[in-house]
Parts: sequence; structure tokens; C-alpha cells
Amino acid sequence: MAGPSLRSRFVVGTVLLTAGLLMIGHMISLAAISRVPALRGAHQTFTGAFITLALMAIGLSQVRNGLSSVNHLRERLARLRDGRDRRIDGDYPAEVQPLVDDLNALLEHREQTVGRALAKAGDLAHGLKTPLAVLSQEADRTDAEGHHELAATIGQQIERMRRQIDYHLAHARAAASGATLGARCGVLASAEGLSRTLQRLHAGRGLVIDLHVDTEHAVRAQREDLDEMLGNLLDNACKWTSSRVVVSSDADAGSVEIVVDDDGPGLAASMRDAVLQRGVRADQAAPGSGLGLAIVRNLAEVYGGAIALDRSPMGGLRARLRLPSSEVRSGTA
Amino acid sequence: MRILVVENEARLAQQLATALGDAGYAVDCAADGERADFFGQTEEYDAVVLDLGLPKTDGLTVLRRSREAGIPVPVLVLTARGSWHEKVHGIDEGADDYVSKPFRMEELLARLRALIRRASGQVTPALRCGAVALDPRGARVTVNGVAVRLTSHEFRVLSYLMHHRGRVVSQSELTEHIYARSADRDSNTVEVFIARLRRKIGSSFIETIRGLGYRIADADA
Repeated sequence: MAGPSLRSRFVVGTVLLTAGLLMIGHMISLAAISRVPALRGAHQTFTGAFITLALMAIGLSQVRNGLSSVNHLRERLARLRDGRDRRIDGDYPAEVQPLVDDLNALLEHREQTVGRALAKAGDLAHGLKTPLAVLSQEADRTDAEGHHELAATIGQQIERMRRQIDYHLAHARAAASGATLGARCGVLASAEGLSRTLQRLHAGRGLVIDLHVDTEHAVRAQREDLDEMLGNLLDNACKWTSSRVVVSSDADAGSVEIVVDDDGPGLAASMRDAVLQRGVRADQAAPGSGLGLAIVRNLAEVYGGAIALDRSPMGGLRARLRLPSSEVRSGTA
Repeated sequence: MRILVVENEARLAQQLATALGDAGYAVDCAADGERADFFGQTEEYDAVVLDLGLPKTDGLTVLRRSREAGIPVPVLVLTARGSWHEKVHGIDEGADDYVSKPFRMEELLARLRALIRRASGQVTPALRCGAVALDPRGARVTVNGVAVRLTSHEFRVLSYLMHHRGRVVSQSELTEHIYARSADRDSNTVEVFIARLRRKIGSSFIETIRGLGYRIADADA
């Protein structure tokens, strides 16, 4: 609930103070006139009125200037929320500056705490994966020794654990990223890195990845998370395409849509929703976890975005990822 | 064909060494970044399996240093940290492929074979020169369709020469690529392996280029 406006309190206070001063001035002039009747005369009135108006104008502008720093602070906070700034900067009056400093310190503390928690979650996840890798090979050995049922059980449980780890790690990342202020990331930079990477990972298949992405398009997300979303979409496209994958982007008021098209076999309409659900795979024989698209959806939702699957004009699957945009020109990032 | 395995988890390193050995490769293991750095710069490998979270020097630093030193060996990164952001970083540092833990050994072996094949400019998975066919997938060799039994050293010699067919391979280069670091090396034994191979697959298949080394003629050339 908002209390009475700071501005009205200032003005009322100033008016009351001025009224008091006027009363004192009036009493002094009455006393002076009663002692020296020669002062009685009208020729001073014009000058007096002018001085009075000038003083009032200067006073009002001082009040305005003093209050403008509060508006300035509000603008800075809005920029912070939009992801254009990471800290509140600028000079503020002596009464406001300590507040700004405290707020900045709080932001930094929060960022560090979230970062540490995330690093711990990552360490836990990755610390579990090497022992799982060892177990997985042991299961293979058990299989080779003829204990097929035991090997199959161990194998299934390892796969379940791996999915749990991947899912919860991605979720922790996403939750932490949503809590981090000041995130913004250019779409082209992310798409270029991923394109280089996928060309290398699929070397020998002669894949073409075309990028039609505007250099100005940026989204309000951490680079790691945009890489994860776009990486999963591109990887999926590269797995299924026969020769060509196209990434394009389009911006409208407040959001950027990134579209990934491929010329592969596509996905039946009935399967499109299913693959976006947690843990469902469109084709059990496809390499990879099958969690990819579900993770993309999860991350996108944390950022207030969305993902949709469709039929591509190129024949295969079209994935449309929509994320809140971060204006490029306004920030220094 | 010789592989360097860089993995600090001893049990996993052993499992990898066993599986790679069974697949016909000579294998060296390094348990930390410093040893990996040293092995990578002083020995010759046909591929490297590299874990990233290593003691002393981390895997990406090892990779960057070896690329800076101009070593072109194919590197397969085997890591628990397989996010796309990390993959982009690893590929930009010079990695050739990524496998995330936990993994299927067959998949790792298949990716390694593909890397080695691409690095030597081969297109098809199985190598064929005239009557002789070598399939790295099962370490199998056939002559006119008839399977030939080779020892692991003979297989490595033949595999290396066939991967680099059309090129003269010196005796010392062959020695580098068929023995693990710990093995006793004697370049004279290469002559023995070549002689045995000639008995098993035909005497004219491997040419001796006097003073330079050996060559398998490129059938397509």
C-alpha cells in the first residue's frame, strides 16, 4: 500500500514554513512602520512582489530537483528488471545514496548466493555421473558374463538416474537464472557458436546450417540457458534433417521468436505435444536423452517464453521458441 | 592405432583401457592433466579420449595447449558436464566430439572409429584395398571374403597402413602407433609383423620402399 506522496508532503511542509516566515516578516514590518512612519508608502511594493515571486520559483525548482532523483531511481530499477543493467548507477542526493548502495550490495549478495547454490547443484550432478559411467560399464560386463536380467535392470536404473539428474539440474539452472537480474543475450552470438559446434559434431554428414538472425535481436536470458534451449532445438534438427537446417528470428513488441526448420521426416501432429512433455521420446531408437525438448519447454517457461512445434515449409519439423526481448541499443552490455 | 585415455577415475580408466584394447587399439592412460600434457606432446596418438575435470591441469587447458603446439590429433571429450554452453566452449578450444557420462561403450567406440577415419580422410566405415577388407567395428580382416586371424599387433600395423594407404609410412612411425607407452619397443619387430602379415594376406599387398618404409597402394589412385 502506498503512503501519502513524498511530493505533497514536501509541498505542504514548504508552504507551512513559508507561511510562518511570512507571519514573522509581517510582524517585523508592522513594528518597523509603527516606529518609522516615513516607511509607509507604496513605491516599494513592485520590487517586493518581484523578489517574492523569484524566491518562490527558486524554491519550487529546488523541491523539483530534489524529487527528480526518486524518479531517476525508479527508471534505473525498471532497467534492472528489463535486463539492461545489472546494478543501479548514477549519483544521488546524500539521503538517497546510502539506500542505493545498500540495494546494490543486496543485489551482489543475492547474485553470489544464487551462483554458489547453482555451482553446488552442478557439482552434485556431475559428481554422480562418473560413478554412473563406471556402473554402466560394469553392467555391460555382467551382461557379457551371462547375467542378462541383472545387467538390464542395472542399465535401466542408470538411465533413470541420468534422466533425473539432467532434469533437475536443468530445472535448478532455470530457476536460478529466472532469479538473476540483468540477463541479456544476443541470439546471433549463441546461434553462431552452436552452429560451429554442431557442424563439428556432425562432421562428415555435409550438413548446411543457415542462420538468418538479425544482429540486433537479443533476449532477456542468460547465455548458458539460451545456448541450452537453442542447442537442443538445433541438435534435434541436425539429427533428423537430410541436408539443411535454417535458423531465423523475428521480433515484435516485447518478444523475439527464434524459428528452427529442418528438411527431415518431421513429426506427426499427435506426437508434437508428447515430445514436449517430460521424459517422453518420439523415437526410442534416436540417440540422446529424449529429454531435450522437454528441457527447452521448461527453460522457456521459466523465462516467460514458450515453445511450439509445427510443420516446416521445408518438409520437416519447425520449432518456434518465443522469449521476452531485451532491447539492444539501450544497454552497454 | 594408438589411443590416449585421460581419465582420473581409476576404475573408469581401466574399463576404457580394457574395452579399447579389446577393440584392437594400443592404449596409454593418463590420470591427471600434467601427464596428459606430457604424453600428448611427446608421444604419437591416433585419437585422445579426454575427461575435462582433471586434477592439476584441467582438460580444456590440456586441449588448448596441444592445439597451440600444433598437434592435430582427434580429441573426443568424455565429460559429466555436457551442457550446450560447455560443448560450444570445448569445440571452440579444439575438441572434435563430445560424449556425456554416463555413456554406452559401443557408442564411444563408434564415435572414435569415425573420428580416426575422418582424420585420415576415409569415407566409408570399412576399409577395402583390392581383395583385403578391414572392418574396425569388429577388428575383422578378410581376404576375398575369407576371415583372417591376426594378432593385435599385426592388426594395428595393417589398420594403420590401410588408414594411410597411398602414403609411405616409416618403420619408426609404425612403431609409435602400434605400441602402448609401457610396452618394450623394438623397431625390428615391425619387420617381423610385416613378414607375418604378408604370409597371411598375400606377399604383394604391402610394398617395402627401401630406406623409407612401407606402403599399401591406394587402389583408387
